[in-house]
Amino acid sequence: MIGLVDANNFYVSCERVFDPFLEGKPVGVMSNNDGCIIARSAEMKAMGIPMGIPSFKLESLRKRGEIYLKSSNYELYGDMSARLCQLLRDACPAVSPYSIDEMFIYLEEFSDKQCLTLGEWLRRRIRRHLGLPVCVGLAPTHTLAKLANHLAKTSPHYQGVCLLQAQSATTMALLKQTPVGSVWGIGRRLAERLAVNKIYTAWDLHEADLKQLRKRFSVVLARTALELRGTPCLHMNDLGQPRHRIMTSRSFGQPTGAKEEVHDALRRHAQRSAEKLRQQRSLTRAVMIFLNTNRHRRDQPQYYPHAMIPLPAPSDDTRTILEAVRQGLEQVYRPGYRFMKAGVMLLDLVDAEQHQLSLLSPPPRNRHPHLMATLDDINQRMGQGTISFGMTNADAAWQLRCAHRSKRYTTRWDELMQAGTHPGAIRECALRKQPLT
Amino acid sequence: MSFPPSPVAPALPLTFQPLPYSSLQGRAGFSGFPSPAQDYEPRTLDLNTRLIKNPTQTFYLTAAGDSMEGWGIFDGDLLIVDRSIKPRLGHILVAMLEEEVLIKRYALYRGTPHLCSAHPHYPPLPLKNTDCQLWGVVRAVIHEYLR
Ligand SMILES: [Mg+2]
Repeated sequence: MIGLVDANNFYVSCERVFDPFLEGKPVGVMSNNDGCIIARSAEMKAMGIPMGIPSFKLESLRKRGEIYLKSSNYELYGDMSARLCQLLRDACPAVSPYSIDEMFIYLEEFSDKQCLTLGEWLRRRIRRHLGLPVCVGLAPTHTLAKLANHLAKTSPHYQGVCLLQAQSATTMALLKQTPVGSVWGIGRRLAERLAVNKIYTAWDLHEADLKQLRKRFSVVLARTALELRGTPCLHMNDLGQPRHRIMTSRSFGQPTGAKEEVHDALRRHAQRSAEKLRQQRSLTRAVMIFLNTNRHRRDQPQYYPHAMIPLPAPSDDTRTILEAVRQGLEQVYRPGYRFMKAGVMLLDLVDAEQHQLSLLSPPPRNRHPHLMATLDDINQRMGQGTISFGMTNADAAWQLRCAHRSKRYTTRWDELMQAGTHPGAIRECALRKQPLT
Repeated sequence: MSFPPSPVAPALPLTFQPLPYSSLQGRAGFSGFPSPAQDYEPRTLDLNTRLIKNPTQTFYLTAAGDSMEGWGIFDGDLLIVDRSIKPRLGHILVAMLEEEVLIKRYALYRGTPHLCSAHPHYPPLPLKNTDCQLWGVVRAVIHEYLR
C-alpha cells in the first residue's frame, strides 16, 4: 500500500500551532509583500473568500476583526514541514516528500488493516506532537492514494483516514463521481481533449482501452488508467507536476559530502525547475532546497536539512532562483555528512499573466524574458544544460513587506513563543518592558 | 536580484542542529570494531543530547511572569517543551486555557487535578469542565545568569 499524508490548510495550521487564538477563526495567509491570499482556513473558505484575491480587498473585513490575515512566514512553514517529514520517517519504512505539506509513505507488506491502524495512529500523533491536522489516503497506487486522500479530507465519514482497495465497490462509486480532470496529473487541457473522446469521469478512464489511450494520448495516461485499476506503474516523478509546485530532485551517483558537488547538483535542479516553470508560464514565490543522507547507513551520521527562501517578488528568472538556492545551501550545509539526495522545490506558483495584471504587486525587477527564452530554446535544441549560469551576484537588499508576519517561532532565538505563568502575565510583562514616555 | 538580508546567521531549525562534528567522527568507520584511537578521542558533551530526547517534537518557548518562581521558572527563562510526552501529575505543562498560553504545574488539589502555580496570588485552576488543552510538557528550564 501507498499512503499520502497531506496537511489541512498547511500554512494556516502552522500559524495556529503557535497562536492558538486563531483556532476556529477565519484566517488567511498572504503572498510575499502581502499581495494576495495564498492560503485560507476552512472558516475563510466557508465565507466564500476566493484563493488569490488581492489583500487590499479584504482590508475592511480585517479591520473590523471579522477575518485574520498573516504575512507568509516561510521559515516557520519550512521547519514544520521538515518536522512532519521526520516524524513520518521515524514511523514508516519509506517516505518521499511530494510537496511542502504532502508526503508519500510506502507500506509494502502491510495488511489493509495494519495500514488503516497506522494511518489513524499517524494522524493522531501528528496532531498531538506537532499540532498539525492531517488527512491520510491509502491505496495500492499513487493515483488512487491521491483520490483516497481527497475523500478523507472532504467526507467526514472517514474521519481523516481513507483506504481505497483496487476495484472495490467504494472505489468504483468514487471513480464514477470524480471528474477526469481531478485525477492526478490530468490538467485542464488534457481533460478537455478527453471529453471529446467521451471520457468524462475517472471511471471512464478506468474503463478506457489502454492501447487507444497510448496511441491517441500518451503512455503516461495509459499508466494512469492502469493505476486507477490498482496496478502500480507510476513513480512519483512520472506524475505531472501539480500546478502549485515544481520539484526536481535526484540521488547522487555517489554519496558526497563536498559542498561544491552538492551545490552543483542543486544548481542543475534549480535550472531544470526554472525551465519547467517558464514552460507552464508561472512565477514562483518561494524556493525550498533539501538534502538527505542515507538513512539506511546507520553507521553514518544522519542529517536531513531543509531551507526555505522566499523571493522578494514572484519570479521565473533562473538567476534569482540560483541565488535563493545558494543562500539556502549556506544556511544548512554542514561538513561531515555524506549526502545521498538533493532537491529543489518551487512553491506557491502564480500564473505569470495573472500576476502581471494585478496592480498591487511591485513590478518584477531584473527580469529578462528574452534572455530566458533564448536560454530555454538553446537548451532544448542542443541538449539540457548546454548553457547554464554560474554564480550570480546579489544587488542591494530588497526588504520584503511583511507587516503581519507572525514570529519565526522555531528558527530564531529572539522570536520564541511566550507562555505566561498566570493569566495576563504576557501582557503585564510586555507593558513592563515598554519604556515609559 | 537580491534577497532580504539575513540578520541572524544561519536559520537552521533549532531542534535540528546536528551534533558537533567531532563526536561523530569515531562512528563513521566501516568496520564493526571500534578503532583503538577512539577511546582516547575527546568526546564532546553535547547539551542537545541531554536536554532534547525527541528533537522533532521539541519546541523552545520563553516564560513570562513571576508566579512560577517557586518551581524555578523565572521571567524570561527558556523552556524546553516536548510535545511527545504524556502528561503526568507533577509535570510542568504548557497549556491553553481561555485563549491564554500558560505554564503551570499539573497536580492534585483537594483530590482533583488542577493547574497550580507557585504563588499565593494565583489559586489553583480546576481542570474539570474547562476547555483546557495541553500544548506540551516542559522537559527542562534554562536560566541564564549571564546574557
Ligand atoms: Mg495540504
